[in-house]
Amino acid sequence: MRVRLNLMRGRLRTGNICQTIVRMNPESPDSHLIALLDRIAQADESALKELYGLTSSKLYGVALRVVTNRSWAEDVLQEAYLNIWRIAGAYQASLSPPMAWMGLLVRSRGLDFLRRRASDRADHVQELDEVIADTVAGDAPNPMDTAQASEQAWALHQCLSQLEHRQREALSLAYLRDLSHSELALQLRLPLGTVKTWIRRGLEQLRGCMARLA
Amino acid sequence: MNIHRNPALADQLAASYALGTLRGGARRRFEALAREHASLRAAALIWQGRIASVAELQPEVAPSPAVWTRIENLVQADKQARSMQAARSAPAPTAPAGRWWASLGLWRGAAAAGAFATVVAVVAGVGLNSRLSGQVRELSARLSATPAIEYVAVLADDKANASILVTFDPTTQKLVLKRVGDFREQPDKSLELWALPPGAPAKSLGVMNSGEAVVRLTAADSDIRRSPALAITLEPKGGVPPGTAATGPILFKGALLKTPD
Repeated sequence: MRVRLNLMRGRLRTGNICQTIVRMNPESPDSHLIALLDRIAQADESALKELYGLTSSKLYGVALRVVTNRSWAEDVLQEAYLNIWRIAGAYQASLSPPMAWMGLLVRSRGLDFLRRRASDRADHVQELDEVIADTVAGDAPNPMDTAQASEQAWALHQCLSQLEHRQREALSLAYLRDLSHSELALQLRLPLGTVKTWIRRGLEQLRGCMARLA
Repeated sequence: MNIHRNPALADQLAASYALGTLRGGARRRFEALAREHASLRAAALIWQGRIASVAELQPEVAPSPAVWTRIENLVQADKQARSMQAARSAPAPTAPAGRWWASLGLWRGAAAAGAFATVVAVVAGVGLNSRLSGQVRELSARLSATPAIEYVAVLADDKANASILVTFDPTTQKLVLKRVGDFREQPDKSLELWALPPGAPAKSLGVMNSGEAVVRLTAADSDIRRSPALAITLEPKGGVPPGTAATGPILFKGALLKTPD
């Protein structure tokens, strides 16, 4: 049911059918978040507060993974919610689940932040290395968190879970931090060939798995 | 190479494209092909959606409660700025001097509603990498550490750039204006500071001449206490004659805050 709702939402959300579906499925977290975004687009501050309560821990987690420093991540989070406050109306044109849309905002704010800091990068690389060294250190249990995740994210989670931990991390970081193979190799302190192989094999496995699920 | 006729290769490239590891010339060639071939474009969009879900799978971490306070303040400042803009763009049928006060009156309502917003927003939020914001933050920290300062206002322009810091000490009735931005008026102009008491005409508190970085004025405690906000207008050198209304545009404004005890 939720899969179809997510797919249909974009086309139907302005019509009566959409409202019927939302009413039929009142506990869907997506439809609640969408309703909040609609209210925020009408400059309803209480909706922003509720949205923050529901999503800030998840989005702060994303910001932390992108910029790797708590206070920077807080600045990024602040910018992202201010952005949501200003452009919530634009969500209607997006076909993404609400968490994915907000995740994209946080990632791009985070990447902007890193670009702005690129000038004094010496200390930054050091910090990145330490954080990544922790995350890629061993084959820790899958740390991914599917609470609140959309149907699409759940499918990705299923497929990523089949990868080796380090491969999964390399893929996640390549995307979240917008890193090239060589940047990733530098940050992970691994040979470029190894990184390329991980990414290629990881993507191949992901392709096969996503094709089966979709 | 006819990658659109080779679905496996097309899908593989679309996945690397979405992940971001397809770079340089290969990325540009892929983009050019995707513009030509709808199936390739569709594959890229599907993969972008899938990969974007990585963000949804990251572990949750609770941010510090201060973040919401900062967002709330910025949202207040944003609302205030919007209503100011609405007030400005609304045409008023009165004479120019009257129109100035009409828009100020509207703005004053918004300022009172969002009390606290402007200063905290400017101090804590605006301009992540701006030296100015760091400067203001440092100044305010120093000020709030000084017990005699009971009121503080950061007067900012319509882009929320802090320009003048105002402090007031009721025990000595000293009102201090300090430039914190890089606004410099012409030598034949002065900046005039106005108290904006609700339901009463704005009251001039004094003038800052061009070239002065800091001005110390004396102000009646009552004028300050009943004004939720202050504003600065650009006036002829020396300011307007006593008892008359402002003639120039509002350059900066901000809420007047009582410092925490």
